[in-house]
Amino acid sequence: MGIIVGYIATLGIYFCIYNILSIGLNIQFGYAGILDFTVITFMAIGGYMAGVASLGPEQPGSQIFYILGLSLPWPVALLIGATAAGLLGCAIGLIALRRLRSDYLAIVTLAAGSIIYGLVGNNSKIFDGFEGLVGVPQPFNGVLGLNPNSYALLFLGFAAVVMAVLWVAANRLRNSPLGRAMRATREDLEVAEAYGKNTYKLRMMAMVIGSVYVGVGGVLTIWYVTAMAPAGWGTSETFVVWAALIVGGVGSNGGAVIGSFLVAVLFNEVTRFLPGISSDPSLIPEVRNICIGALVILTLRFRPQGVMPERKARFPELPEASVRQEPAIVAEEV
Amino acid sequence: MSLFLLTLGFGVVTAAVLSLASVGLSLQFGVTNYVNFAYGSYLAVGMFATYTASQSLHLPFVMAALLGVLSSGMVAVAVDLLVLERFVKRGTSGFFLLIVTFGLALILLNLEQAIWGVGFDRYPVALGNPVRLGPFSVTPAQLDVVGVAIVALSAVHLLLTRTRLGKAMRAMSDNPTLALASGIDTRATTMWTWFITGCLAGLGGVTLALNTVEFQVFTGNTFLFVIFAAVILGGIGKIYGAMLGALIIGLAINLSTLVISSAYAIDVAFAVLVLVLLVRPQGLFTVAGKA
Repeated sequence: MGIIVGYIATLGIYFCIYNILSIGLNIQFGYAGILDFTVITFMAIGGYMAGVASLGPEQPGSQIFYILGLSLPWPVALLIGATAAGLLGCAIGLIALRRLRSDYLAIVTLAAGSIIYGLVGNNSKIFDGFEGLVGVPQPFNGVLGLNPNSYALLFLGFAAVVMAVLWVAANRLRNSPLGRAMRATREDLEVAEAYGKNTYKLRMMAMVIGSVYVGVGGVLTIWYVTAMAPAGWGTSETFVVWAALIVGGVGSNGGAVIGSFLVAVLFNEVTRFLPGISSDPSLIPEVRNICIGALVILTLRFRPQGVMPERKARFPELPEASVRQEPAIVAEEV
Repeated sequence: MSLFLLTLGFGVVTAAVLSLASVGLSLQFGVTNYVNFAYGSYLAVGMFATYTASQSLHLPFVMAALLGVLSSGMVAVAVDLLVLERFVKRGTSGFFLLIVTFGLALILLNLEQAIWGVGFDRYPVALGNPVRLGPFSVTPAQLDVVGVAIVALSAVHLLLTRTRLGKAMRAMSDNPTLALASGIDTRATTMWTWFITGCLAGLGGVTLALNTVEFQVFTGNTFLFVIFAAVILGGIGKIYGAMLGALIIGLAINLSTLVISSAYAIDVAFAVLVLVLLVRPQGLFTVAGKA
């Protein structure tokens, strides 16, 4: 019984984490139209930095090497992880968000992710290379000392609270003047600029805020799993987040929620139990990735707006008298 | 000094490999006007179809390589017909086409890994002992690579300047609507473009494999970033720019090994890419219109 509860709680935690990741991507791509093909790198940096901040100093005999090792309490580690992800987003944005074509932007993000992957993997002194960090202390568990199943339930509650806070904040951002301006840059960069918006600054803000979201998702991941290694954040993992956002519906946070449930939880768990490939376990990751790629392509082909489409602003016909008034960029939502 | 010249020789070989793949990517971009992130997987198709043909079917290596090159061309056409053409016809915006090719890259990479495994392989051919040519020292296989690149690129040049197909491709690259209005069969031209650029990718893959000796499926995907750097340096969509970009990046990668570890080859290419994007994002060849 306890195992089933623990399993369901674990699925719930993954749902919360993927939800945070896809809302972060939604802020970058759905709000501001930034093609970030290396989402998962921000998740990894957030997790790694929080990990080395909460781990103790490295032990000489353990053969595990990492920087820092500050044994900080968890709220500080969370802050460090989120900040590190935001700074990385800013650094990539500095290169990619200058007035470049969207395909250059995608190339730069993808290439930067691949470079960081190589650097982290090949340098065992930063985050222990391809071996990865292990034994990261879990929040609350030091004082409570729960068994794994009860801890999963507790952590589910914690992750749900974090997710709810971030979800509300993302929705507030979406409907704020700042969020509307971001969406205006997504629709048409030139028009937004003609209205006096600083599109570089707006897109940079979306990039950094999105990265911080994804970084927080990474912190939750390393706390729950207590380990992180490059194998867990390859390019295919980026695509899982993209799949969640696209299946759910680009631009709508509700869509991101549905998408992360359908893709990250349901789809991932169902492909695990496919009978045909269980005989050849080494093929499971390949089949899973092929299915997720096909899922995205089929969604874009047959339902590009996603399961829960974004509700776009409608422009009512202007009555004769008000034609002379200055038109708003985006009318109120209907 | 002799070490410098020796490295320069290897740089020319890398540049030859890189120019084949870069010209393919740039030509395809010029005609279809979107970047194909699955291009690295086409390299792997050429690489491994050749491997299967020579290792399992025991064909002579030249025959096997020809088979490999043709099969990557056919994969490119099949992917266009089955997936990309449908999106283009519907007028899918550039954003989503990029996501589609990103998804295709994931699908093709994993298919290839399911077929050929993730380990390292090598061709069952003797690469020959290094021969000295003045200050350079290269294997006969590497000399062949340079020769193949010169022949293939000359053929592309003749195709673009002397044939109706080449003229149609250049016309589509300049203005697809006008090309269609002038009676050019844009669908056939697009399909031929995919076939030719797919073959160039396959050729790039085979020569890359000959140059690095040991290769795996992922080699093509890693090399994709080097290709991007060369293509953007030359100005995306510009064939001769891509050749020049390949030469510069190829030399830069190899000469950097004199100073830093050769493990950082991709990082050097990325540094050049970032520098180009910051200083001259339109590339070395500036032409009004596409940039």
